[in-house]
Amino acid sequence: MSKSFFVSFFSKKEDSSFLKKISKKLLLIYMVVTPAPALGARVVSLNLCTDALLVMLAPEQVAALSPLARDPSISVVAAQARSLPWVRPDAEAVLRLHPDLVLAGRYGAQAALTVLRSRGLRTEQVDEPTDFASVAREVTDVATALGVPVRGAAMVVTMRARLAAVRPGQGGRAIFWQARGFTAGHGSFGDAVLRAAGFVNAGTGRAIGVEAMLTHPPDVLVTEQAPDYPSLATDLLTHPALAGIRRRTVPPALLACAGPWSVAAVEMLAR
Amino acid sequence: MRGWGIALALLTMASLLLGAAGLGVPDWTILWQLRVPRTGLALLVGAGLGLSGAVLQGVLRNPLADPGFLGVGGCAALGAVGVFYWGVAAVFAPALPLGGFAGAAAGCAVLLYVFRRSPSGPGLILGGVALSALAAALLSLALSAAPNPFALYEITFWLMGGLEDRTVTHLALAVPPIVLGCALLLRLGRGLDALSLGEETAATMGVPIAATLRRAVLGVALAVGAGAAVAGGIGFIGLIVPNLLRPMVGERPGALLWPSTIAGALLLLVADMTARAAGLWLPLAAEPRLGVLTALLGAPFLVVAARRVAP
Repeated sequence: MSKSFFVSFFSKKEDSSFLKKISKKLLLIYMVVTPAPALGARVVSLNLCTDALLVMLAPEQVAALSPLARDPSISVVAAQARSLPWVRPDAEAVLRLHPDLVLAGRYGAQAALTVLRSRGLRTEQVDEPTDFASVAREVTDVATALGVPVRGAAMVVTMRARLAAVRPGQGGRAIFWQARGFTAGHGSFGDAVLRAAGFVNAGTGRAIGVEAMLTHPPDVLVTEQAPDYPSLATDLLTHPALAGIRRRTVPPALLACAGPWSVAAVEMLAR
Repeated sequence: MRGWGIALALLTMASLLLGAAGLGVPDWTILWQLRVPRTGLALLVGAGLGLSGAVLQGVLRNPLADPGFLGVGGCAALGAVGVFYWGVAAVFAPALPLGGFAGAAAGCAVLLYVFRRSPSGPGLILGGVALSALAAALLSLALSAAPNPFALYEITFWLMGGLEDRTVTHLALAVPPIVLGCALLLRLGRGLDALSLGEETAATMGVPIAATLRRAVLGVALAVGAGAAVAGGIGFIGLIVPNLLRPMVGERPGALLWPSTIAGALLLLVADMTARAAGLWLPLAAEPRLGVLTALLGAPFLVVAARRVAP
């Protein structure tokens, strides 16, 4: 089931790109001919972003995911996560699972990680990628840590092929406006997504309010689709005073974590 | 009275000219969809808080009574959080002020029931402090239980208030309950005057004490509840305003009601304009919260007022 998901995720969009066809075939061949390595390895992920990579790269190794993995508004693997165990980022709860490897981010759960490391557990921390090159590095690192480097390589090849196939759309000055009014600044992953879709990023990385947005409006305002659950942070993005600015929206799960899945957001914005 | 009117008109004009876009005449969208709701809400919420403070101080016969200090504002925010984060207000918008009203009314009811023997004693203020701590704790708990995983980040709004980026809808939702609440409270002047002479004297004067208390609670819950639902928890306005006015208009609580309403509106508008100016000209990551400014002014004020009360 999980393998079929993995394949379907990367073949959602029909595309004539040669590279893409090749990479898809490579992936299929690999999936058929190689048995899952590191059988029996039990991996705990404490971070939404590593949750997604773990489920896509080695679903058979999951010991537990973070609770956020089940939330479809921010998780790209919510459907699979529902049938997988989860654990709070709490050292004691994680120790009870006796994992072989603990995946985590650079922020959050750091106290738990310190305890886990002192107990001799193997941990792998990933940085937040700031562009697609660092996504590729992260995928490779996590795949290596999981003992599935070929699956990681296939994932990277597919991602690069899809990115290469993107034909930038109308372009113009765009601001990627996130919860609480933060804009994607230069060197951020949001900036990489905007540029890959053919826009010039007009954001500074600082938070701006509705009035500041109206004072210097961009050609295109890029926001995430309103999530299922209300918050003041996202109410701001749908303020009625902004009705006059052209807007493109992307599903929030695609950019909640930077990953190979974020290419889908680039494809949507370029269209 | 004319002085108040001129001050109100001038400050309202100034408020419409100040914002993140700078100082000057803004374009129509910014004026109507941002500055008007913001200015209107500052005046309305401030009026409700100032008047509620004056009524609470009169009815409880304690100059330290304040809706925020007594936990009524915190309970109102808790009620609003309940309907906002669980999506009720997204389906039925008036649920937002209704939730604030229900929370504020529940807070008042608990406090007055627990201290029904001596509502004017010093115990009620301490009980209010306990209620306000409880409300803040429950607020944090509710936000961490909310379906939105990032809701807890918004606790500063619910505890410290703010009027940035509010919409015309928020203004429309807040007008009816706050105007109704203020109308109820403004009619309590005679009852409060009689109460200031003691409950027995008031009874002989034909003032229904229980009914006065009930109307005060209803009016405060409407004005403070709807205010907290759209502007978050803003403290100290109800404490500062009547205490500031008392030397000018005298000790009679009934005489304080109208001046406290107008001065409350003015004070919150000035606080909000200060927040906007600070966001515009100071190197801050965001505008300072409205409740931060009222607390900066109100905390020293409380110390002075408390020293005067305690011998």
